[in-house]
Amino acid sequence: MMKEFELFVGPNHPGVTGNMSYHLWVEGATIKKVETRVGYLHRGFEKLMEKRIWMQNVPLVCRICVPEPDVNEAAYSMAVEDLMGWEIPERAKYIRTIILELARLGAHLLTVGGIAASFGLYTIAQWGVGDRDYILDIFEQITGARVYHIYIWPGGVRWDLPKNAKELITKVLDYLEKRMPLYEDLLIRNKVFIRRAVGVGIVPKDKAIEWGVTGPNLRAAGYQLDFRKLEPYAAYDSVDFEVPYYPKLGEYEVLSDGSDIYTRTAIRLLEMKQSISIIRQALKEMPEGDVILKHPQWFAWKVPAGYSYVRVESSKGEYGYFVVSDGGKKPVRVHVRGPSYTHGINVLERIAPGMNIADFSPTAISLDVCPPDIER
Amino acid sequence: MMAKELFPDAQEIRKGRIRIEVEPEKVGEIVKKLKDNGYDHFVMLSCIDWINDGQFELVYHMWSYEYREHVMISTRIPRDGGSMVTLRDLFPQIETYEREIHEMFGVDFIGNPRLGEFILEGWPHMPPMRKDFDTEKFVKDFYYKIPEVKEE
Repeated sequence: MMKEFELFVGPNHPGVTGNMSYHLWVEGATIKKVETRVGYLHRGFEKLMEKRIWMQNVPLVCRICVPEPDVNEAAYSMAVEDLMGWEIPERAKYIRTIILELARLGAHLLTVGGIAASFGLYTIAQWGVGDRDYILDIFEQITGARVYHIYIWPGGVRWDLPKNAKELITKVLDYLEKRMPLYEDLLIRNKVFIRRAVGVGIVPKDKAIEWGVTGPNLRAAGYQLDFRKLEPYAAYDSVDFEVPYYPKLGEYEVLSDGSDIYTRTAIRLLEMKQSISIIRQALKEMPEGDVILKHPQWFAWKVPAGYSYVRVESSKGEYGYFVVSDGGKKPVRVHVRGPSYTHGINVLERIAPGMNIADFSPTAISLDVCPPDIER
Repeated sequence: MMAKELFPDAQEIRKGRIRIEVEPEKVGEIVKKLKDNGYDHFVMLSCIDWINDGQFELVYHMWSYEYREHVMISTRIPRDGGSMVTLRDLFPQIETYEREIHEMFGVDFIGNPRLGEFILEGWPHMPPMRKDFDTEKFVKDFYYKIPEVKEE
């Protein structure tokens, strides 16, 4: 009889996407049971937000998700606008779209790099981090900060784009477009990657929605569902884009029945191309005008009592903010729905048993599990 | 069927956002009914501490991809000793939300075997997301104490 061992993956492990750990029970090289362990990163944001006035929470929320902070700013701002009944200026909607798509590009570069690195293909990981830096350069020029931008604000965006924004962004998009074939050759058409990623880490298609899977992971399972289309926010209803999903993988070969690491990676690469197209359109069609509403004094905001749930489509899936106000100067409750909460805990715990140990980290990373949005 | 047809008392907050207030014992039945009627995505489970009313409000968020509608099922339970029946059999992710609410608010979910340490570790104090948990006082008591220097 084979002996069962316990294996601890993380919290400081190259196969884990940040400060979290997995407790694995293994027999030989086969995983028998998994428990996700969190608690290394809880910063008490939701509690802090109840103690701060509405405006003070904007610099706080972006810190919830490190690789893609802008979705937090957007969702929180949209929730406040929803309760306030504000309609933001048209130009601000376009700027938000540009910022959110740049953030998506950056986040996807990190994830695709992470997936590749989990198979030992470190070149892509280095490229991903390197290319993301050009996007951070744009953010620095637009917002003054590289990672936490505090730029999207209830009522619009804090200031207009710099005069050279169009050239700046276009230059990076041109560069990224040239880089895409290299990523494809080295990853999606790479025999090593194909042999390791096809048919591995499968989320059952019939369970995907019931288990709360969203975002690229859901689209890789064969559902063409994207909240940018289902509940358009910012300027997504004014730009033309496609939602890539299995089995419509465009120029990439369909090698499996979907919902595996290969398909999830392919979907992310295809989404990057769509993001580039969205940003180009937004830059072209952006109207002139104000970028922020003329607010009453920021420190005196009183948000009407009510319940608001607002969602955005982040690079990882549905990112939602549930905001409750009693009409006061501070929120009563802000509850953040991070996509990794389901992907990293109940989905992973269910799909990992029976898997080889070597396939575990790539699966976790391809689900794009980001611990900061589990622990707010 | 859409939520408004299933539950005529439901209140439409705005387009695509429905709120239903119900008794705690009816939640399971309603969540099941919505699940069977196209509201197949369980978004999340939230808890709000209404300290002045002495109640916790549990909000079950569901979404229908078909109708593009979000339903919030609200129920109130007593703040002290309040409990709720687990709904982990309907949607597996509810289990995780219940674990967090149990730890952060102190709500007992009957039938959930995984309640226990989730994010906190060895936490002997009041559940920290309760409104009467004073973070500043806690920090002062635990981290700002100057250790006494014992004279030899």
